[in-house]
Amino acid sequence: MTAIVESERRPGGFAGWIGHIGDVLGAIPGAYRDALRTHPLRTTLLSALVILGVFYPLLNRSVLQGFSRNVFPLPIPDDTVVTFMLIFSIMAVGLNIVAGFAGLLDLGYVAFYAIGAYTAAFLASPHFGVVSIVLLANVPQGFPGIHIPFWFIVPLAMIIAGTFGALLGAPTLRLRGDYLAIVTLGFGEIVPVVFRNLADVTIKFNFLFINFSAEHLNLTGGPLGINPIDPPYLPGLGITFNASAGFAPVYLAMILLALGVLFARNLERSRIGRAWMAIREDELAAEMMGVHTVRTKLLAFALGASFAGIAGSLQASYLGATTSDFFQFSTSILVLIMVILGGIGNIWGVIVGAVALQYVNLTLLPYLGQQIQSIAPSFPNPAQFNFLFFGLILVVMMRFRPEGFIPNRQRAAQLSAHVLAAAAAERGEVVGLDNTGLDIDENIELAPPGQSEVGEDARAAETSDEARDL
Amino acid sequence: MTLDATPDPTPAPAPVAGGAMRTGAIPDDQLLVKARAVTKRFGGLLAVSDVNFDIPRGAIVSLIGPNGAGKTTFFNMITGLYLPSSGSIEFDGKPIVTTSGKKIRGKKPHEVAALGIGRTFQNIRLFGTMTALDNVRVGANVHLRSRWWDAALRTPLMLNEETANRAEAMGILRLVELEDRADAWARSLPYGDQRRLEIARALATRPKLLLLDEPTAGMNASETRDVMSFIRRLRSELNLTVLLIEHDMRVVMGISDRVTVLDHGQVIAEGPPAEVRADPKVIEAYLGRGAAEA
Amino acid sequence: MDQIVQTFIIGLSNGLIFALVALGYSLVYGIIELINFAHGDVFMLGSMIALLLISGVFGVTAATSPLMIVIIVAAVILITMAVTATINVTIERLAYRPLRNAPKLAPLISAIGMSFVLQNIALLIAGPANKSIDNVLPSVNLLSYIGVNTVELSFRQVFVAVVTVPLLIGMSWFVAKTKQGKAMRATAQDPDTAGLMGVDVNRTIAFTFLIGGALAGAAGVVQILYNNVTVWNLGFRFGLNAFTSAVLGGIGNLPGAVLGALVLGQINAFSDRYVAANWTNAIVFMVLIGVLVFKPTGLLGQQLADRA
Repeated sequence: MTAIVESERRPGGFAGWIGHIGDVLGAIPGAYRDALRTHPLRTTLLSALVILGVFYPLLNRSVLQGFSRNVFPLPIPDDTVVTFMLIFSIMAVGLNIVAGFAGLLDLGYVAFYAIGAYTAAFLASPHFGVVSIVLLANVPQGFPGIHIPFWFIVPLAMIIAGTFGALLGAPTLRLRGDYLAIVTLGFGEIVPVVFRNLADVTIKFNFLFINFSAEHLNLTGGPLGINPIDPPYLPGLGITFNASAGFAPVYLAMILLALGVLFARNLERSRIGRAWMAIREDELAAEMMGVHTVRTKLLAFALGASFAGIAGSLQASYLGATTSDFFQFSTSILVLIMVILGGIGNIWGVIVGAVALQYVNLTLLPYLGQQIQSIAPSFPNPAQFNFLFFGLILVVMMRFRPEGFIPNRQRAAQLSAHVLAAAAAERGEVVGLDNTGLDIDENIELAPPGQSEVGEDARAAETSDEARDL
Repeated sequence: MTLDATPDPTPAPAPVAGGAMRTGAIPDDQLLVKARAVTKRFGGLLAVSDVNFDIPRGAIVSLIGPNGAGKTTFFNMITGLYLPSSGSIEFDGKPIVTTSGKKIRGKKPHEVAALGIGRTFQNIRLFGTMTALDNVRVGANVHLRSRWWDAALRTPLMLNEETANRAEAMGILRLVELEDRADAWARSLPYGDQRRLEIARALATRPKLLLLDEPTAGMNASETRDVMSFIRRLRSELNLTVLLIEHDMRVVMGISDRVTVLDHGQVIAEGPPAEVRADPKVIEAYLGRGAAEA
Repeated sequence: MDQIVQTFIIGLSNGLIFALVALGYSLVYGIIELINFAHGDVFMLGSMIALLLISGVFGVTAATSPLMIVIIVAAVILITMAVTATINVTIERLAYRPLRNAPKLAPLISAIGMSFVLQNIALLIAGPANKSIDNVLPSVNLLSYIGVNTVELSFRQVFVAVVTVPLLIGMSWFVAKTKQGKAMRATAQDPDTAGLMGVDVNRTIAFTFLIGGALAGAAGVVQILYNNVTVWNLGFRFGLNAFTSAVLGGIGNLPGAVLGALVLGQINAFSDRYVAANWTNAIVFMVLIGVLVFKPTGLLGQQLADRA
């Protein structure tokens, strides 16, 4: 596809851009035919999944729910669960930019989710009742609080979350990977604490002739959080996208996810995506080749954070409420597991990971819990121990399949070296202890000329791996 | 800069004759690199001590010396990886490292790369799981102007730039005769190809100065000859100045216009290859005192 | 003034318990550069096991005779240390050793997973509510014997010191003087070379986890006797405090970990008392971030591991 649209020089400006979009859209049928020819199984499966996803809410209504109610109870995700699958898919795609593309471990990703949610809460609720700012929103003029339509809140949430991402990243991205992970974890813990605690703030400011005093300000709603938050509202069609609106929010979330995927995919296939990969492969060499590594990592951090901003503002607007309890360390880890399970570095993989994990988390485990409780009431309810399974997933995946189930080829080659080494050790071959564990490429770098075919083999093995999965 | 195989119309400056090769003997405007009193300490270890070093434009200069003499350290200071403990380095009239009083300021590696210094590594450091083409395209990153929003929205600016960048990278791959391996992962390439790909990646930064750290390490005689003629071609076709670290004396003597010998972090000899080869201090450094006296 | 002294005493007791756990982080980081995220949860398991032993197995109540209590507490400490040491070694064997050659972040992710596993095992067994025991240590103010009644130094606080200080001293002696300690330091410096010099690297690493686990177990016992309460997710916050201590002192540096823990104990106590308890965690995290960003080598620098 790219070969078709990149073959000639395009005119600049908006007209050129529109023309390009036309080219891309025009090239889709051909590209799809190509994909069907080169990867028939994968393309068919993916198409089927997308079609199933798009029509799921209707299918759910027309067939599945009736079957489940009348014939046999099935663990079917309802609209709320599907919306949360999509909200978390947006986050997984965002975290994948940070962890998958740029190779940075962010354990405090939930902070940006919280920032997105509170952005929506501040800008579309009666919370700041002392003022009344109603801009184009679906509430009467003069209504207390700030009310801005969701469509403006999303970009604002992106910008604010991205800014916080940059602010956190600027001093910390020079740190080594594990230190960065802990710093982000700390940030992820501080942000909800701040939202929880800033419910009673007294500011006294007295400097020269400026005299300012405000007592007992409730900035964040404290432990109770903020509600009600205005739901997204589409004026022309009169649709409200809240939890009682049926499948409308599903499609809203789907559109936001689709835009996010497009955005992430475009970034991946650009000079920035290449710079991220280069940093992940060998930061020093990338720096020596002129890549401004700190700025490039910062960009990954900020853009990744902005995705969580979208997800947060959607979640808060959709639920109509937010509290700091939503934003726990475990949520950061949940998103991380989605990314790892699906296939770190692979956008489609992480979406599958998000959907699968939310299905297990929100539908399957509660369903199993119900079934078990009805048979053996004293047996522990698996839904309460979801993180037992999730923790095990992390341990087991790291050990046996660190590249995830729908791997990115490059990431797979980087991550699964120790699995191959362990297999070799099992066969009785001696494997040196490389405790620095940076990457396996060093073996190949240092190998004499004759042995470089090892790389070929690994790649071939990897490719067949992929073929097996999809 | 043209990257196809046709010779550049402007001839490379003729190598300056022997006597004028001494540090300080060449007028500044003919110098690409001018390093003065460069010193680097690692804790108590004096790795490079008070080194003055010139690279004339268009020359092929070799830096030699026994293991641990400070060659790679010096390389790393030119490229901004290490900040010297004191001294100054100028490149193409622009400061890379400046010392004023006790304060030493240096450019970061990516800034140095942007100024026009490309390098290879002693142990090949390619981006292993990126394609050969993408490795080269990363090298050209510094010359691309599209921003993240251009990338996210695929604006015409970005798309045109990408097209040009891809073509340029393919041109460089053609120059190093790897165009048919463009889509192969860097680490799947044979060793010799990896060496050439690393040079290609460095060329993509459009360097004025190319630093090659042991480009013929691990190569047999015929491969080594290929590399030598390739380096000469780079100079004549791309108008490059080349600084080599090399252990293979046939390479050093065969292609250098000028050789500088480091030992224990100090310059012990410099000049045309023939002169340096005969210098007793050099023989002593390499072979020990007895050999020099014999 | 009395309040400040009182806060200081509380901070000291906190700090001594942190120190035992912080040593575990520091030892492991020093030797394999892994932030052993599950370590705080091993400590939590230690407190759960101690609780089970004290109130369940031995049935200690406030009415048990003092001599029996001394004997039982000694036994509980030894048993708990043995169990948590075993748990820690098992974790290393299952979750970290197979990842020795993996990219560096893989063991960290595995450790996070392990942390959740341990927490949920405790949740499964002990339930979501706080678990508490009777206070079995005499609640007298020792300072009242010398006529001070405005500041309290309770017997429990002395007990904390009586258990932790010898363990900390013993630990330092062990790493500095014994053959096994030398093997640990050698492995920390350079595992490849240590291996070539005849150090059994895997065994040394396992041994490090053994010691770390034992110390965490002891800390668990001390904490349950000191606070009389534990809960399944105690290890997360406590562990992060201890990890912060280790970083503050210079991770890999054992005296540094103890110093960091003592400082952090005070930060906790003074923040609880003079700021607000609900800000304490945020303050601890700010300290952690501040140290990592501005002085990643900590107060005393990195000693055991000099490979950064």
